[in-house]
Amino acid sequence: MILQQLKILLLVLVFLVTAAEAGLVKDQLGREVLVPDEPKRIVSLAPSITEIVFALGAGHLLQGVTQHCDFPPEAGALPKVGSYVHLDLERIVALKPDLCLGARDGNPREVAEKLEALNIPVYAVNPRDLQTVMSTLIEIGRLLHAEAQAEVLVAKMRGRIEGVKARVATTQVRPKIFFQIGIVPIVSLGTNTCIGELITTAGGHNLAAGPTPYPRFSKEQVVALEPEVIIITSMTRGQDFEPVRDDWYRWSNLPAVRNHRIHIVESDIFDRPSPRLVEGLELLARLIHPELW
Amino acid sequence: MKPALTLDQLHLSYGRRKVLNDISVTVEEGEFFIIIGPNGSGKTSLLKTAFGAVRPQQGTVRILGRPLRAYSGRKLAQVVAVVPQAAPADIPFTVAEVVLMGRSPHLPWLGLERQQDRETARRAMQFTHVAHLAARRLEHLSAGERQRVLIARAICQQPRLLVLDEPTSALDLAHQVQIMDLLAELRGNDGVTVVMVSHDLNLAALYADRLLLMKEGNVVSMGEPAQVLTFDTLEEAYGCVLLVDENPLKKVPRITLVPKRLLAVDPARR
Amino acid sequence: MTAPSVPRRILTVSSGLAVFLGLSVWLGLSIGSTGQNLREVFALLIGSAGPDETLANIVWRIRLPRVLLAALAGATLSLGGLVFQALLRNPLAEPYILGISGGAAIGAIIGILLGLSRFPGVALLAFAGSMATLFLVLVIASVRLSLKQDSLILAGVMVNAFCSSLIMFLLSLTQDARLHNILFWLMGDLSLSDGTQTLILAACLAPCFFLLFFMARPMNLLLLGEEMAASMGVNVRAISLVLVVVTSFMVSATVCQSGLLGFVGLVTPHLLRLLFGPDHRVLVPACILGGGAYLVWCDLLARFLPAQGELPVGVITALIGAPLFIYLLLRAKR
Repeated sequence: MILQQLKILLLVLVFLVTAAEAGLVKDQLGREVLVPDEPKRIVSLAPSITEIVFALGAGHLLQGVTQHCDFPPEAGALPKVGSYVHLDLERIVALKPDLCLGARDGNPREVAEKLEALNIPVYAVNPRDLQTVMSTLIEIGRLLHAEAQAEVLVAKMRGRIEGVKARVATTQVRPKIFFQIGIVPIVSLGTNTCIGELITTAGGHNLAAGPTPYPRFSKEQVVALEPEVIIITSMTRGQDFEPVRDDWYRWSNLPAVRNHRIHIVESDIFDRPSPRLVEGLELLARLIHPELW
Repeated sequence: MKPALTLDQLHLSYGRRKVLNDISVTVEEGEFFIIIGPNGSGKTSLLKTAFGAVRPQQGTVRILGRPLRAYSGRKLAQVVAVVPQAAPADIPFTVAEVVLMGRSPHLPWLGLERQQDRETARRAMQFTHVAHLAARRLEHLSAGERQRVLIARAICQQPRLLVLDEPTSALDLAHQVQIMDLLAELRGNDGVTVVMVSHDLNLAALYADRLLLMKEGNVVSMGEPAQVLTFDTLEEAYGCVLLVDENPLKKVPRITLVPKRLLAVDPARR
Repeated sequence: MTAPSVPRRILTVSSGLAVFLGLSVWLGLSIGSTGQNLREVFALLIGSAGPDETLANIVWRIRLPRVLLAALAGATLSLGGLVFQALLRNPLAEPYILGISGGAAIGAIIGILLGLSRFPGVALLAFAGSMATLFLVLVIASVRLSLKQDSLILAGVMVNAFCSSLIMFLLSLTQDARLHNILFWLMGDLSLSDGTQTLILAACLAPCFFLLFFMARPMNLLLLGEEMAASMGVNVRAISLVLVVVTSFMVSATVCQSGLLGFVGLVTPHLLRLLFGPDHRVLVPACILGGGAYLVWCDLLARFLPAQGELPVGVITALIGAPLFIYLLLRAKR
């Protein structure tokens, strides 16, 4: 009898002790994750998250990042744990993290479950566009006790976004934009995508607007749309885009060709949902409305 | 003594084609029984009904007095061994392994052979004079050697009835006689009944106790060689002129083919 | 006859290969992306390890399911290749020849496109797909002739070809990240192995292994030709059906978890036949143990060779298997 009561007491004590050191928080997957109060060893499972953590000034807490985490440069020096679609469990475990930050749409769910089975909490965030990047900054800021820094960053971002919106509001012109992310086949972005929203905010008319997130186009279809500005980027890194631009120049009827408004941009500030999206927005606005800057 | 094989009023058709028409045959134990006839006469089909490879639409087959249906596959294999006409060319096993497989019907599921099985196989290989080839792979042997190995395998099965489909047609002369001698010896020593199909009329005449001559699914003649191999029956079955006289070695008929021009020269022979 | 008896051969071959498999597993558990720790792992295995939890976690929870899956998949695919090579009397036969790969791939791709998790979603769809194509192959083959070898092969090739065109169509519709998942599945990928699932697979496979061991003698007899096998008491039709169904089930169950690993089922039976002779009573355990060890080694190399990350195992099995197969063929010709 006494032994039984002692066991229960012990369990309660243990629970209290561990509960004091960690808290149950709901993440973007809707899961209740037991997050440590003071995370000291963090592994980031996506490049956007790495950028967010560094932006919050908590980069020193990071023990490991994914292969493609290349910004800021300090991230490149950290140990790699595979790519964000193909994570290396062994490397993650070997780094002994007390918290992993993952991307809801991106990391395979099984990996999160496996890490949790090994008692490593995985907190999933879901930055997709400007709004959610800002809310993610606040969320992660809370987890890492960098609330103040998060507020400052979000305020700065808001400021820059409003600045762009204000300038764009001074004109009614909405040039026809074709934003190309795929070379073969030609792929653009629909209305409910991050870049689609950026285009609209930057004062352009997205020619690929529609319900399909990644619509495909044939060359003729693009030519028939008569884009005034063509912006080329690609989800794959390290590709040579000059030949792609030269290819468009063969279609001399296009307004974009006649006015020399075919631009190649760095993909990272457009397809990575990080604080640098604001830079992407500003760049886009300048390319679409050069007359306003 | 029960007859080794009884075929009773067999009718067999492949689709619309009638292959065997009311065939009744009895083969006694220890007989050397050879089936002859032109192509398409149903010889092989008859053989196949005898060991259960095809089932006749009508009629019964009895092995050692019991109906074929009463035998399980395994029990049948303990009594009847078959040497088919063609064996695949690429059997990867050695001679010894192939012959030893003949013990399969007598062994339990995993088929782990005992000392006495290996003895039986050794004796079978000695009998057919292939013992010196024991470690060689079957695919590296000549046709004659391969045939002897397959017969050794059949002997190793220790059957009461040995069925062979044209065992000598692909062999050269020396081997033909060799094989037939082996079969005759087998029958003599162990009382095994031998039923085979042959193309070669003279060979059949020299070795058979009884012959069955077939044509288009029917029996033309059945009995001792002298009875069956007459000018009339042969002309009926084969539809050509053949010279029939007596074999100088044994009192059995000897068949000679007659080229057309020689036929015109000596009409008195008719 | 001077050759050792079959039971003795079965024992020596099996125990030799079992030891080899054990060593391979130890090596597989010791090598990973965080380094090689042969001695520590050995200590872990015999239970005298220190309190380093991290290594224990890595070995037991991450490496062990993977190595086990490699051993099981290697065993199944090798055995599958052996059975089909005997049944269809064709040295080019491999476990996917009767349409299993086509059906499984279509099921898996549909599962991945629908966003289902690897297990049970994608796995069950892959299994259902392969059973559907197997059924189709059996129907086509029996319509022509009664399960004769040629019609089985023809039906299998036809169904696989049709499935390939469907797969290409599905691939053309796919976007980025999912394309990556699909390609990895098609190449064969052991990285998403899980302890529980692997144990379930082992439970499904064990009875199949036993059954096939008991069919070893009929397989020997089938190699003598269907006529001779039948005359020796083998119910050719029934045995063929059982072999096809059991082997297909076992291969499908494995493919659900490991993807379409190629060349294992084609090459290892030939290799083992070269080493141990054509008797299936020896070859069945040899394929289970030796085939398992072969894939454990391939997986080991897949994790060890690249400086960063890992290669898909399917790449290693192809890179090793293809030249090995050519060498074996040339050798056999002599």
